[in-house]
Amino acid sequence: MPDLEALFGDPFAEANPVGFAAVLAADERGELLPEGEALLTGYGLGAEFVPTELGGRFDRADRMAAVLRAVFRRDCALGLGHGVTSFIAAAPIWTSGNAAQRNWVAEYLLGGGRLSAAYTELAHGNDFTRVETRATRTAEGFVLDGRKELVNNAARADAAVVFAKTEDRPGSRGHSHFLVDLAAVPAGSYRRLPDFPTVGVRGCLLGGFEFTGCPLPGESLVGAPGEGMETVLRAFQVTRAVLPGMTLGALDTLLRLAARFAAERRLYGRTVAGLPHAGATLAGAFTDLLICDCLCTVAARALHVVPEQAGMLAAATKYLVPRLAQDAAYALSVLFGARGYLREGPFAMAQKIIRDLPVLTFGHANAAVCQSSIIPRLPRIARTVGEPAPEVLFRSDGELPPLDFGLLTLDYRGHDRVLLLLEGLPGEVGLPGVFEAELARWRDTAVKLAPRDTIILAGRAGFETSHRYALLLAAASSVGVWLANRDRSPFLDGGAWIRAALRRLGARLGRHGGDPAEEDEELGRELFARCADGVTLDLAARPLGRSAGTSRGRGTGR
Amino acid sequence: MSGTQAGMTAAQVRAWLIDRVAFLLELRAQDIDPDAELAELGLDSVYAVMLGGEIEEEFGLVVEPTVAWDNPTITVLAGHLAAELGVR
Repeated sequence: MPDLEALFGDPFAEANPVGFAAVLAADERGELLPEGEALLTGYGLGAEFVPTELGGRFDRADRMAAVLRAVFRRDCALGLGHGVTSFIAAAPIWTSGNAAQRNWVAEYLLGGGRLSAAYTELAHGNDFTRVETRATRTAEGFVLDGRKELVNNAARADAAVVFAKTEDRPGSRGHSHFLVDLAAVPAGSYRRLPDFPTVGVRGCLLGGFEFTGCPLPGESLVGAPGEGMETVLRAFQVTRAVLPGMTLGALDTLLRLAARFAAERRLYGRTVAGLPHAGATLAGAFTDLLICDCLCTVAARALHVVPEQAGMLAAATKYLVPRLAQDAAYALSVLFGARGYLREGPFAMAQKIIRDLPVLTFGHANAAVCQSSIIPRLPRIARTVGEPAPEVLFRSDGELPPLDFGLLTLDYRGHDRVLLLLEGLPGEVGLPGVFEAELARWRDTAVKLAPRDTIILAGRAGFETSHRYALLLAAASSVGVWLANRDRSPFLDGGAWIRAALRRLGARLGRHGGDPAEEDEELGRELFARCADGVTLDLAARPLGRSAGTSRGRGTGR
Repeated sequence: MSGTQAGMTAAQVRAWLIDRVAFLLELRAQDIDPDAELAELGLDSVYAVMLGGEIEEEFGLVVEPTVAWDNPTITVLAGHLAAELGVR
């Protein structure tokens, strides 16, 4: 496969039809960049979402996240609007669809089709058990009635996966998925709703459907009747584990722009990069990006390696990563000052990314919803101990067993195999005893959670405990990734980034300590060297797109 | 909670479930309607899955994670569990 970055080319080249100038112009017009869509269609992006046994290229969740990360480095709107939406819609089919449905969706996506994921109704948010769109059983099949809102690509998709009520009684067996071939249903039985104007990802076509007596054949039902919630709780473990890893591309670009800005801009007789506060901001954002990548790497690989734990990791990742990315973006926006607010000039991409990022905190499961799915499981996790996770979970280039959607479970039996890494940390990582103590304190709080704090009505104590759980998981994931990948580059081997990562996570847990100056300096050196070499700022340090004929610099292997 | 299944009657299973749900919702046992859907009582789908885990721990059974979805009231769930336990 050609490398997407190479296809995208130099983002800063004015004449590049898929460079930042073109991306910004499309955003101003409020449309997805047509040249970007054409490029991704030519690349066959749809194949990334189709399992290999159905003719696609989806065999590893971490690889899918890495491929889509390149799209998010260029443009969040393209990543969502041309990319991940179709995967969110396809995941329930891979989980519960029959052979005919799987083949149909595979062929549709391989042919470049867009699949809409029609879940949301404005009145019910993420509360899927209250969804009102109804599929009524008839002699021929079903009749669909109701409105779906905030659905990506509703204006132009030729097929949609629709989540609809199939029972009158309340509860978790009342809903089902339907695979709807919009070209095959009678004209007039549905209409496409106008797009909602948004603050960020302005090119995305966030519209909706209104179904009015829309007849569906019996074979459009996905899985058994009433299996909808169960399918959601399995399929979304996969999508929620990979989506945050894809979106880190946006933070990567924002940080690169900030480094470039800091190196060029002179204030108070020196470059901004030479101001201690600015240097610390850049090093901090770089560290946060690496922390996020560690958690995303572990969440994606867990789907293959420890599928029985994948749900918790996915929820914690979808909760914490957008939040860390958002905090980092805020810190960088202070560094940019007005330049990060202007819609023109060399740093206009900064304001676009800062506007685009918030969609990731509520898109495809809001942060509080992710926490709510973690909270009920916390007491049981906290009181069970067992084996630490195997090294293969953390090693970025390690082989993976196939991803089996059938092994993803709804319940969560027993201990957390990732958290255990925090017991007996090597002295090199600094903060002696801090994480061991924080883990013990967290366990103590989690087992004692008041019953009411473990259900959907949980108060602050439940949410606080889930927040600390996610931070501890991020710390454990970072340590795991560091230990398993030390031989991959001198930077990954050296302790500066992991010490900085634990220091920042420790501070979020309320444990401030030590002087970060030395680590910040090393992180700053690495950051500027990577920017000069044109490589990404995540764990992988991959070469970025360049203008034709430009030499490749040091590239990977850093 | 520890395997108290020996010699339990269906009525005892039902009483345990009522106590458990009352405890979670911070209500008195007499205020729990055993014939109301768990979802109506305020136990959402994720919590209903967790109730399956608690049932496993309490009764030493292996149950489907969705056992409380498929048996959505305390009365129905108690009947199902009693059958699984072979008690009446």
